[in-house]
Amino acid sequence: MDFSLSPDTPAIAAFRKEVQEWLQENMRGAEHLRWSGIWSTRENEEEYRFRRELARKLGEKGWLFPMFPVQYGGGGLTVDHQLVLETEIGRHGLNLNSVFYTLARLVAPAILKWGSEEQKREFLPPMLRGEVSVWQVLTEPQGGSDVATCRTKALRDGDHYVVNGQKIMVGYHHPPDFLWALVCTDPSGPRHENLSWLYIPGNSAGITIQPMHLMMGIKNSVFFDNVRVPAFNLVGGENNGWKVANTYLELEHGGGGNVTEDPLVVRLVRYCQRTQGDGKTLMEDQSIRDIIADTLIELDVVRLFALRNFWCRYVREPHPYGGVQYIYHQRVVRLRNAERLQRILGYDALVTDLSVHEQADFEYAVRSGPGWLHGGGTLDTDRLIFARRLGLGRPTGEAAPTTV
Amino acid sequence: MDLRLTKTQNMFKRAAADFVKVEAPSHIVTEWFRNKATFLPDLYRKAANLGWLGMVVPERYGGASASFTDCAVVFEELGRVPLPGPLFSSGVLSALLVLEGASEAQKESLLPAICSGRSIVIVAITDKGVDWGTESVETRLTNTTGGFVLDGTKRFVYDAEGATSFICAARMENGGIALVLVNRESPGISITPHVGFMVSVAEVRFDRVKVAASSVLGEAGAGWQILDGALQKALPILCAYQVGACQEIFDFTAEYTRTRVVFGQPIGRFQRVQDHCVELSIHLDAARWVTYEALWKLDSGLPAAAGVHEAKAVASEAYYQVCNFSHMVHAGPGTDYGHPLMAHSLMAHTLYQYLGTPLHHKRKMMDALYPRGKG
Repeated sequence: MDFSLSPDTPAIAAFRKEVQEWLQENMRGAEHLRWSGIWSTRENEEEYRFRRELARKLGEKGWLFPMFPVQYGGGGLTVDHQLVLETEIGRHGLNLNSVFYTLARLVAPAILKWGSEEQKREFLPPMLRGEVSVWQVLTEPQGGSDVATCRTKALRDGDHYVVNGQKIMVGYHHPPDFLWALVCTDPSGPRHENLSWLYIPGNSAGITIQPMHLMMGIKNSVFFDNVRVPAFNLVGGENNGWKVANTYLELEHGGGGNVTEDPLVVRLVRYCQRTQGDGKTLMEDQSIRDIIADTLIELDVVRLFALRNFWCRYVREPHPYGGVQYIYHQRVVRLRNAERLQRILGYDALVTDLSVHEQADFEYAVRSGPGWLHGGGTLDTDRLIFARRLGLGRPTGEAAPTTV
Repeated sequence: MDLRLTKTQNMFKRAAADFVKVEAPSHIVTEWFRNKATFLPDLYRKAANLGWLGMVVPERYGGASASFTDCAVVFEELGRVPLPGPLFSSGVLSALLVLEGASEAQKESLLPAICSGRSIVIVAITDKGVDWGTESVETRLTNTTGGFVLDGTKRFVYDAEGATSFICAARMENGGIALVLVNRESPGISITPHVGFMVSVAEVRFDRVKVAASSVLGEAGAGWQILDGALQKALPILCAYQVGACQEIFDFTAEYTRTRVVFGQPIGRFQRVQDHCVELSIHLDAARWVTYEALWKLDSGLPAAAGVHEAKAVASEAYYQVCNFSHMVHAGPGTDYGHPLMAHSLMAHTLYQYLGTPLHHKRKMMDALYPRGKG
């Protein structure tokens, strides 16, 4: 086995050097900026502009989607190149998933797998080049985790669909260029056979976006009032949406994995090395070292699950329960660590620190524990999926949907 | 990055799986554990003939010069049984201890015998049961007019029953710790199995046992460093054994959720039961990946200390918890000594303590990453 993230063939080493130099050049001017989390309330205009510009520059080189086909705006590169890009941009506190506020990383694979050739040529290049932001709009007020109850209707009218309904708990600060929406195209059809995916331009008439201030930051309600969307924008076939959703949700539920490291432990240790308590640094206190050990080990396990999933995806070795195991455990660990932070830092764990990237801010981590338990489905739906994939109480386990 | 086993490793894995299928079917294993007959000389000889003792020892000393991961793959399959006997304690730990600290002459005389199975060498470290560390070494090594004398009582010596020799950690007069090789037949040695919820653990009494000066392994006084060095390499193999055990428990527990029907449906359809299996699966895979990453570090010559301690903490805790979750699913039948789970439960409780508890290794991991006294 080889767990190494830095393959050192001469070609890859040269590529790493090229990426490092490029980042050094293009991150210039960001020294005073601190990255905000994806649903942040502290994002500012300067940071936002910088990140969108950076995404565009990365996209131009094919580095935002390194392994996607060149003809759609990807890099046409190998997994080793992707590892270099992921780890190098990680050094700057960002990751390829969210250079800026978009879910293209999840939406693009679904379109690549299910779109027609014309749709791929039309929709993918702007997304892959980092030119457009995409929200996923899935959850509805009545449905919650049960997304198949989708009531937002899209009824055919000539060469358009007319969309009416409401989505909730979606998106970020800035209005999206596109919305990737699950809609009901056959209100009288049977469950799972009445849904479709629409790629809806954000500037369509009839869309109203209302921000919601939540525990983890800002999300939105989106209202569709007779929004006309070209029929061309329906991806994967009418009433075939549940299958498309499966590709998509497998990625959202951790199937894509991750190779970036959580900055929390490093910052926690640094804090404990610098902070005095009882005449010695916190780092010399055995009870605190024990808490840090548990924090560190559990985050390490999450890292390894993510790494395994990343590898499985890119060598096309389907892992039936890997995605959901990772995402479920990550949330549970985040929740446990939130309390551990408070045990070590006391009130200080609840004070916002604007001098660091938000992902490394203790207050954000504490809030994220309970705040991020449910994105993409509750812990309990995670456990249901987990159990099905393990084949508990069934003759065989449910396979993982194939992704790209 | 490549998380697959190599062709050779897959071959090792199959060979080990085939071996245990024939030699250690579940109904026989439960009898072994029920009768506490956990040292099986015939089985040990057969395993030795397959080359599983001293796999990681260089060929010139009778080993196979295999990588740590190669060896771990075999032990993962053995852990599925769980196969008892001193395959790890002599064939891995003691072999590495000798390799790590013994003189060239000692290596040449000891290692081929360990690798062939002719000698079974067992470490006897702690006098007290509570902790694992230098402070637990109380047995004394004194230099008398009649030569060296070893005096004291080692408790919780794992796999003592089959030993042909012991490597005993002893406190010297200057306070240092020496590792002393003692033949089991030496006058003054007595072995009394501990009775209780554990496997293959005994008290070994050294009652004024005479030992030759040449029996001290390597440098006298460096005993603990030698032991630490050997543990750094041996522990992940033990972890792999525990990973195999967890995998086996997962497999038969998941199967039980399919076949056991109550209240009109297979119990795996009940969400409470599913929850136990979900936790079980997370412990299993946590142990698996932390262990194999530590093995990869060892095989690649990367700094591995923290990862090795982490693996022992995670794997021992996982094995323990996996048994508990499986007990939740199996309820009454799982507590019968005739059920495969009981062999695992006994083994998990024993290995939780063996060579240091999870808490001990978590602390060692922290000390390796963030040494004390440096802020």
